[in-house]
Amino acid sequence: MMRTSIIRDLVILLVIFGFIWGIISLFPVFPEKVELVSIEREQELGETYLEAILKNSDFEEVTSEEMTNAVEAIGLRLENALEGSEYDYRYLVVDDKMINAFTLPGGTIIVTTGLIEFCGSPEELAGVMAHEMGHVEMRHVVSRLVKELGIAILTSGDQFVMGEVTRIITSTGFDRKQEQSADLFACELLEDAGIEPRTLATFFRKLRDDQDNELLEKFEIVSTHPNFTHRIREVLEYVPDENFEEIPMEIEWEEVKGQLPEGRVSK
Amino acid sequence: MEYHPLPQPDEIPVREREDAMGAYFMMFATAALGLPLPIINMIAAIIYYFVNKSKGRFVQFHTLQSLYSQIPVTLLNIGLVVWVITNLVKEYDFTEVFWGYLVMTAVANLIYLIFSVVGAVKARKGLFYYFLFFGKLSYAQVYRVRVGDGEQQRENKPPKM
Repeated sequence: MMRTSIIRDLVILLVIFGFIWGIISLFPVFPEKVELVSIEREQELGETYLEAILKNSDFEEVTSEEMTNAVEAIGLRLENALEGSEYDYRYLVVDDKMINAFTLPGGTIIVTTGLIEFCGSPEELAGVMAHEMGHVEMRHVVSRLVKELGIAILTSGDQFVMGEVTRIITSTGFDRKQEQSADLFACELLEDAGIEPRTLATFFRKLRDDQDNELLEKFEIVSTHPNFTHRIREVLEYVPDENFEEIPMEIEWEEVKGQLPEGRVSK
Repeated sequence: MEYHPLPQPDEIPVREREDAMGAYFMMFATAALGLPLPIINMIAAIIYYFVNKSKGRFVQFHTLQSLYSQIPVTLLNIGLVVWVITNLVKEYDFTEVFWGYLVMTAVANLIYLIFSVVGAVKARKGLFYYFLFFGKLSYAQVYRVRVGDGEQQRENKPPKM
């Protein structure tokens, strides 16, 4: 009698607490979900933010056709490999010494001339752009904005919000999990596009060996993650399909670099 | 199974009531110490139990109940501390499963706290108060009539002539 009663009590306790644990784990407490912002709305927001960023920040769009064409060609190559994307990608090169690439809501990917200068080959830049596309496709950009600002403010399109949005977008702040999934996404996309995915590891290694470079400070790929070696390993562990065949990029990279403003040349 | 009869409130001396109440309140005193290392209040509870168990079944029941109910809470707290430190050191993410565990542990601590206060108040009044599960467990352990109970009662007899 007593024994069964004690066991019954124990079961009640375990069920109550197991229930609490389970419920919180399955239904996260964050009430604001990224799904509440539609992709159309996201693209509209992206337009507004792009205008604001070009107007209010020091970024200046690069007009060199050779350079923009090269970036667009890389982007197009990746896009063609991307199946069923709901985004219209746009690529923009801005003149900035900082080595940086960032993404606006709605699929506008911005790379700096600093990054182009740093990349040893168009494949390396493709790796970075594929990584950024990962953030877009998995909606990391909007979810970060939703998390930091809330849906109401974010979708208001208010002028005064722009400054803050610009800061968030151009600075670091994806979490580890998001970075990892973007890396994996990039590897898969690169493979599909006929670019050796492990080029990304080469690029990461270059970044790791150049950690003291102050131009790297703002680069989201770098600064969120001190443990770079781990990520390099993860990219290296990605083995492309047996039938994978690399299709070289038909871009004269040195010539593209020659177009860098102010006559800057690569090291 | 047989159980010893329960004493009624007016049969329990004030001294015993206070010792029984102390079992619950001592946990709050050590709780501050136990914050960084939850094992400390556990050790204190065990010592308190062994010091007081000989003071009669009423005291023994309350100290044991307090001790037992503390074990799972302590384990949960230790788990939380270990989890947080691991996450920070290895730079793992704080997942939803972690937040679920955190909330569960917080609820467990809160419930433990409330029940302990009620237990202490009741004990001071000379009353029994049974926690879910732990109450019955302690009662069964303290009040069950065991073989050999009563044998120690010694009797003085005149010398055999």
